[in-house]
Amino acid sequence: MRWDFQKIQNDIQEDFKSVLDEKTLESFRIKYLGKKGLISEIYGSFPSLPCEEKAVVGKGANQLKVLATQLVDQKLATLQSKTSQEGRPAIDVTLPGISRPVGHAHVLTQTINEICEIFEKLGFVIHDSPEIETEFNNFTALNIPVDHPSRDSFDTFYIDWPDPTNKGRKLLLRSQTSPGQIRVMQKCKPPMAVVIPGKVYRPDAVDASHSFMFHQIEGLMVDDAVRFSDLKGLLTAFCQEFFGSDIRMRFRPHFFPFTEPSAEVDVYWKAKDAWLEILGCGMVNPKVFDAVGYPKNKYKGLAFGLGVERMAMLKYGINDIRLFYENDVRFLNQF
Amino acid sequence: MKISVQWLNDYIDHKLKPQDLAERLTMAGLEVEEMTAFGATQVLQMEITPNRPDCLSVLGIAREVSAICQKHLKFPQIKKLPNASPKISISIDDKQACGRYIGAVIKDVQVKESPTWLKERIEALGLKSINNIVDITNFCLMEMGQPLHAFDYDKLTGGQIQVRRARSGEELKTLDGQTHKLSSDFLVIADGKQPVALAGIMGGYDSQITVETKNILLESAHFSFGLIRRTTRAVGLNSDSSYRFERGVHWDTIERCSNRAIDLILNIAGGKLDARRDVVSQKPKAFKRTITLPIQEINDLLGFFPSEAKCKSILSKLGFGVKSAKKGVFKIDVPDHRQDVAQPADVIEEIARIIGFDHLPMTVPQIKALNIPEDSNRSNLKKSLYQRLLAQGCDEIITYSMTNQKNLEKSSQSTNPPLKIVNPLSQEQELMRPSLLPSFLSVVLGNVNRSEKNLRFFEFGRIYSQGAEKETIGILLAGEKIPDWRSFKREPVDIFDLKGIVEQTLMPLSKGDVSFRLAEFPALEIGQSVQCNIGSLCVGYLGRVSANILNKWDIKTVPVFFAQLDLQEMYGINRPPIKFVPIVDFPSVVRDVSLAVKLETAYDQIREICFSFGGDILKSVRFVEQYVGDKIQTGYRGIVFSLTYQSFQGTLKEETVNAVHEKICNALIAQLGAVKR
Repeated sequence: MRWDFQKIQNDIQEDFKSVLDEKTLESFRIKYLGKKGLISEIYGSFPSLPCEEKAVVGKGANQLKVLATQLVDQKLATLQSKTSQEGRPAIDVTLPGISRPVGHAHVLTQTINEICEIFEKLGFVIHDSPEIETEFNNFTALNIPVDHPSRDSFDTFYIDWPDPTNKGRKLLLRSQTSPGQIRVMQKCKPPMAVVIPGKVYRPDAVDASHSFMFHQIEGLMVDDAVRFSDLKGLLTAFCQEFFGSDIRMRFRPHFFPFTEPSAEVDVYWKAKDAWLEILGCGMVNPKVFDAVGYPKNKYKGLAFGLGVERMAMLKYGINDIRLFYENDVRFLNQF
Repeated sequence: MKISVQWLNDYIDHKLKPQDLAERLTMAGLEVEEMTAFGATQVLQMEITPNRPDCLSVLGIAREVSAICQKHLKFPQIKKLPNASPKISISIDDKQACGRYIGAVIKDVQVKESPTWLKERIEALGLKSINNIVDITNFCLMEMGQPLHAFDYDKLTGGQIQVRRARSGEELKTLDGQTHKLSSDFLVIADGKQPVALAGIMGGYDSQITVETKNILLESAHFSFGLIRRTTRAVGLNSDSSYRFERGVHWDTIERCSNRAIDLILNIAGGKLDARRDVVSQKPKAFKRTITLPIQEINDLLGFFPSEAKCKSILSKLGFGVKSAKKGVFKIDVPDHRQDVAQPADVIEEIARIIGFDHLPMTVPQIKALNIPEDSNRSNLKKSLYQRLLAQGCDEIITYSMTNQKNLEKSSQSTNPPLKIVNPLSQEQELMRPSLLPSFLSVVLGNVNRSEKNLRFFEFGRIYSQGAEKETIGILLAGEKIPDWRSFKREPVDIFDLKGIVEQTLMPLSKGDVSFRLAEFPALEIGQSVQCNIGSLCVGYLGRVSANILNKWDIKTVPVFFAQLDLQEMYGINRPPIKFVPIVDFPSVVRDVSLAVKLETAYDQIREICFSFGGDILKSVRFVEQYVGDKIQTGYRGIVFSLTYQSFQGTLKEETVNAVHEKICNALIAQLGAVKR
């Protein structure tokens, strides 16, 4: 045998002991693993070997290659980690990272989105409706009689612009999102299911719980056969999704001119040990269908409206409605 | 409205504990907001909805309890009145405003303290016991819901009653001691000489019942609710009387209540009914309404079938007449105290609320939103712009849609006549804003005053003009650039910070085809006032808010940059669908160019020339830096940008790139007078 594998192996290990830095490592690598190194030489002798030796030499050369490669890789790794630490100050990895700030969505928008998304999942479509309205859409079509107190200028802002559809009358700022119902029904035929979020305005003096501008979300569903039991089912599903499945709620009879029957929904608030009203709802009053020109006795509908500020105040424990519009960054950045 | 349980129990034996009674009333639509103890009784604070004036009395509530508990109601017994002459001078001048006036003169009454039972009942409702006569009028008001008033008959000049409009210059001191200047908008009760009561609202001070009073005139009348409401608002005076007149009183109760009071006065204060006169100036038509209700409709509306017997018993306890005309159809006579019930749905509601909504079943609705045109283009655009603003570190604000003339002037936004509010809450909010700038500046001021000076805000808000509203986006930067602790420089924001946000925000819409050019906008500093276009369409403006304006707002020490973008305009822009462009694997070649260009040369001109000479191999022009300073000849600035060349066909040959690159450089030098650096 031309090659004494045991001896070469010992030489390798002996030689390796003198490898101390990158330079000596490189000469070690060249000696054994280089193109003209010992192991290449062994492989190079392969063609001239007698058949019976080929297997033994092949195996021996492979083992040497594995050994030398392992030694080189290990040494390289330790040398590199040493050099990277040497001469450099330690990094204080507890210093803050550099980040571009991400903006904060306003808590009212977050609340509107959260509520609308629940209804979207249930099959409703989100719709937009204008803030400047006619008396017809804001009152008459909603079965709010001409002499109803809420038509008085005390409960609705009128703007100094003539109503093109009603001679001698002025336009107004919607005092509720319900005129959105009228617009949708005038535009489309049932079946329909729609939610309309937006700003509404009422001349209420500002205090911790009143604002002359606030947000509502209106819901409307019309079809051939919609029942009060559907309204209960729908709003129960909503409340469980929004407040959690263990929320206790109740439907309390109430009065709205545009629904019949009408109800308010209360949820039980453990922290306050009280029922808190969160939304108004009911079955669409047939007079509203008359007002939008739907054929008599053809459709049934359910409708609901909820106050966004109230929901947000409940959910986050905000105690003053004015905070929503002050836009103090110390408030905005909390959500 | 307050109701004492003790008093309620006089008319109905409901056998419920007060707590349960309150709960049952609430769940029948008569909300009990609070229950408090008063002496031996519990007092319910109730919220009565405006459609139920019939419930504004103890008897009205008792009728509801009778339906809830299915028990009979005991009406108070009123003795037949002794005969009396009709000799009282009563004239109704304003027949629209007063439909009926019953006057009764009782002579030789003894005005004194009320008996205990009477005191107890009215005091439980929070009324002060005055004397037996006044207490009886209040008692009857609360019992039946019809307001009454007693005058000292001897104080009425000429013993006369006139229901008329006040004359200008007339004054009246009311029971609460306030003096009101009157006008012809006010309805008054006057004697032969002057007003003695604000009709339906409050009696006069001088004709009130005192211990000296011997003879009284008792009023029970019907006043129109519109006029009463306007008057209460005008004088800022509300009373138990006006509250009920505003909601409407019941015609028959006017007389019943008068008789009840006369009966009680004769009993408690003695005296003799001397005269009584019922003047009707305008009798309403007798109320008769029958509603046909197919029983099937109950199920159609509620998803639930109560038994026929249950429906009948609920309705009859509420005072409705119920007949089954033929199988499956109810004929329902509506009583005149329930004129709010006008159609089958209203009757079904009565049945449902007495059963209790919580006892009705629940179903999962079949939701079909087929016919609603979802404007997904708009909402998707809005969503993506919104998200891009958040992602760039802007905080969303929501501001009031109203502003005022002063703020508009302070923001130089008062050129067009703004949309006025006819009945503003205050001068602070007298106008609908024609621009978002005043709203933003007031938010900046608030925050700067609280030492929050580095602000990045946006709002999706509407602006208003010409009776219409427009969706817009406002963006504002103030203070310093986003800090990085690795560099010590703390630099104020500049227009490129804002421009970058605008460009990046509009990217989904503009696909890069957005351009900016100097244009003057009020409030923005000349030279840093920029119009923003997508294609050829102007979509808004941006720039530096001028120092002059910040001074007026008293915003100190921070630079402020503001942009207003017109969302409504953007809805009109057609967005072609995204098309995939194959990724080119052939290597690209990047060449930097450093030029000295004339100060007036715009970077956009450089880009244009590059692309017009770049053939199909110039892929992009990227700005690297600019240099302005003394290392460059005056009138020039240094600009460095890099050009990337790449071909779809194959690896570019050096000669090809060189040829194009040289053409570009030569063109820049020739056309712009630029000099290579």
